[in-house]
Amino acid sequence: MSSSLTARRSSGSQSSSPATRRRPGSLTRSNISGWGFATPFLVFFLVFLVWPVLYGVYMSLTGKSLTGANDSMIGFANYAEAFADADMWRSLGNTLYFTVISTVPLVLVALAMAALLNVGLPAQWLWRLSYFAPYLLASTVVSLFFTWMYNPQLGLINDSLSKIGIPKVAWLNDPNVAMWAIVIATLWWTVGFNFLLYLAAMQNIPHQHYEAASLDGAGAWRQLFSITLPQLGPTTVMIVLLQVLASLKIFDQVYQMTAGGPGGSTRPVVQYIFETGFTGYRLGYSAAISYIFFGLIVLVSVMQFVITRRRSV
Amino acid sequence: MKQFDFFEARQLSRRRLLSGTAALGSVLAAATLSGCGGNASAAAPRDIQFWHLLSGGDGIKMQAMIDAANKANPDFKVHPTVLAWGPPYYTKLAMASAGGRPPEMAIMHASRVPGYAPGGLIDPWDLSLLAEHGVTAADFAPRIWQKSQQNGKVFSIALDSHPFIMFYNTDVARKAGVVAGNGQLQEVKSPQEFMAMAKEMQKVTQAHGLSFGYLGSGSQMWRLFYTLYKQHGADMELTPGQPMKVDRDAAVESLEFMASLFDDTIAAKSGDISTGIAEFARGSSGMLFSGVWELPTMKKAGLPVDAATIPTLYGTPAAYADSHSFVLPRQLNVDEAKRRDVYKFVSDILKGSLSWAEAGHIPAYQPVVQSQAYKALIPQAHYSNAADVIAYDPEAWFSGSGSDWQTYFADNVQNVLLGRDKAADGWAAFEKRTNTLLSRPNPV
Repeated sequence: MSSSLTARRSSGSQSSSPATRRRPGSLTRSNISGWGFATPFLVFFLVFLVWPVLYGVYMSLTGKSLTGANDSMIGFANYAEAFADADMWRSLGNTLYFTVISTVPLVLVALAMAALLNVGLPAQWLWRLSYFAPYLLASTVVSLFFTWMYNPQLGLINDSLSKIGIPKVAWLNDPNVAMWAIVIATLWWTVGFNFLLYLAAMQNIPHQHYEAASLDGAGAWRQLFSITLPQLGPTTVMIVLLQVLASLKIFDQVYQMTAGGPGGSTRPVVQYIFETGFTGYRLGYSAAISYIFFGLIVLVSVMQFVITRRRSV
Repeated sequence: MKQFDFFEARQLSRRRLLSGTAALGSVLAAATLSGCGGNASAAAPRDIQFWHLLSGGDGIKMQAMIDAANKANPDFKVHPTVLAWGPPYYTKLAMASAGGRPPEMAIMHASRVPGYAPGGLIDPWDLSLLAEHGVTAADFAPRIWQKSQQNGKVFSIALDSHPFIMFYNTDVARKAGVVAGNGQLQEVKSPQEFMAMAKEMQKVTQAHGLSFGYLGSGSQMWRLFYTLYKQHGADMELTPGQPMKVDRDAAVESLEFMASLFDDTIAAKSGDISTGIAEFARGSSGMLFSGVWELPTMKKAGLPVDAATIPTLYGTPAAYADSHSFVLPRQLNVDEAKRRDVYKFVSDILKGSLSWAEAGHIPAYQPVVQSQAYKALIPQAHYSNAADVIAYDPEAWFSGSGSDWQTYFADNVQNVLLGRDKAADGWAAFEKRTNTLLSRPNPV
């Protein structure tokens, strides 16, 4: 990814070099129409992204509630309270736990699926379609599917398990299992996207590499480990990056399948923010928690950025 | 050639776009004009927006009552909007009220009003205006009327009370020999007697004596817990800034009794609400602890069903309950004519609440409860005494039906009921959670 990005960046600077020679700030015709095209997006960007972000910071410093009571500035009291709030740490921990245990299979399974397909199975389009199709479903639909399949008494999964002699599992009602059940549902639902990225990257690897390797006597496994996987490096970095960010945002499936239960064992931090703000009325406090979470995401992104840059240098 | 086609198509579409915009503009203008005309003419009925959270059988009954009221009052037309029970409903209602443009009227659980009234999300009712339509304080049972007040003002007008009660299968009860002379279930006065009775029923059904599903539902666990807790004659007080006032022994004893029921003989060890209801409905158990609102389901299942309040096992009769109540969400611009229509509508609904009783609820409006027609409703008449012993949630901004507080109850207590935690530990954890909420600034 990084190589293609730098390529795009360099080509972009080449084409814009005549423009940079012009005096800055001069309103040429093309400049005006450029701003004209950008304005609709800019307006939405400022009104619906920049402004809420700034307003959220202000809110997190007040005792603002949904009912309009206690609207005064209270400084960093919300942050102090949040850092001492066991439920916030627990939900933050749940989010991180989910991110770790979902990202690993979502990357590995996608890779395995793409590799299988790349071997040259017949009816490629059918495999591609069936691997990718779940990704197109709404989260509510996926949650409903899995809630029924996980049903301890009537569900398909327990029914199948009991047929092969494995005891029934209370999938969504057992605090030790519930998060895994959600990971399995998420895996089925979103693995198709990563799979597609991997498949595209694999099909971009020049065929000559394999040809040369086989002339030198490399078998299929040697080719996989010495050609395919190294060539997929940049794609893997990108997929991990996207996946970590997507997993950190976990909310829909959990809210719909367990509502954070049992015993708060699956409640992600986004749900805690939602509950504090909208059902608990404390908008200021929930804004503070969301900025703590925001800080965490920034931290993760910076770490990934540093690692990626070191690799590509 | 191909490029030229494309170009022409683009031109066409641009022209079409322009004419489309013009058309849209004229439609909007026309709509605005006719909107003015609509307001000016007196003949058109006034539109009243009404939000509620009643779905299923309750929703159908409510719709029929609304239709009847609309037919009787040509001056206005009530348009209901049904939202999902629990947090989705209360979040939207609170936000609409905070924004100043809520519906003219809404239904709330009486237990949720303490979270709304002090913050100014709802307006008090004008009792003199209500009296004009023949509805006064004397028409409500004392406990229900008392619940409708906050700081001396009436913020909610109760439509019903819907207690947590016990349904029983009369066939199973008869075969188990636990029926009294009047044809109803015999009276039991202690946890031991109740368990013995349940075991007798289990011998008949060969499955369970009692059905009670609770997994994943804090509301459901709370309903039975609070019934048993209040039967100890104990109180619970939630005052912000102070630790929760509670009779810890009574709470732990109630939890221990609940956990002892789920032994796979008296009742299933684990199961959610719908599993419990389904079990009772197909005759695999003798009793069901449930809200009155499940009555239509049981009747539809063709079950020989009767009902009573949950037996008094700890000396003081008590039943957890809540009320569906009418409230006036605070609007920035109140239309006085519409507000008068709301009073008329509510009084009409109260007077016609016999049909609401068919859905299992106990009407709040006493003239209906005392009518012969209501007394002829069986089994409703067998548990109407519940209205005298009902206990609402302790008042706080975070308590009430479908609140996060009930979710916290489930978080801490579910493992007790599943036999994984000690009752004292589960209760202590819940108390700690509650005290954290009480120590935080009150947002309303």
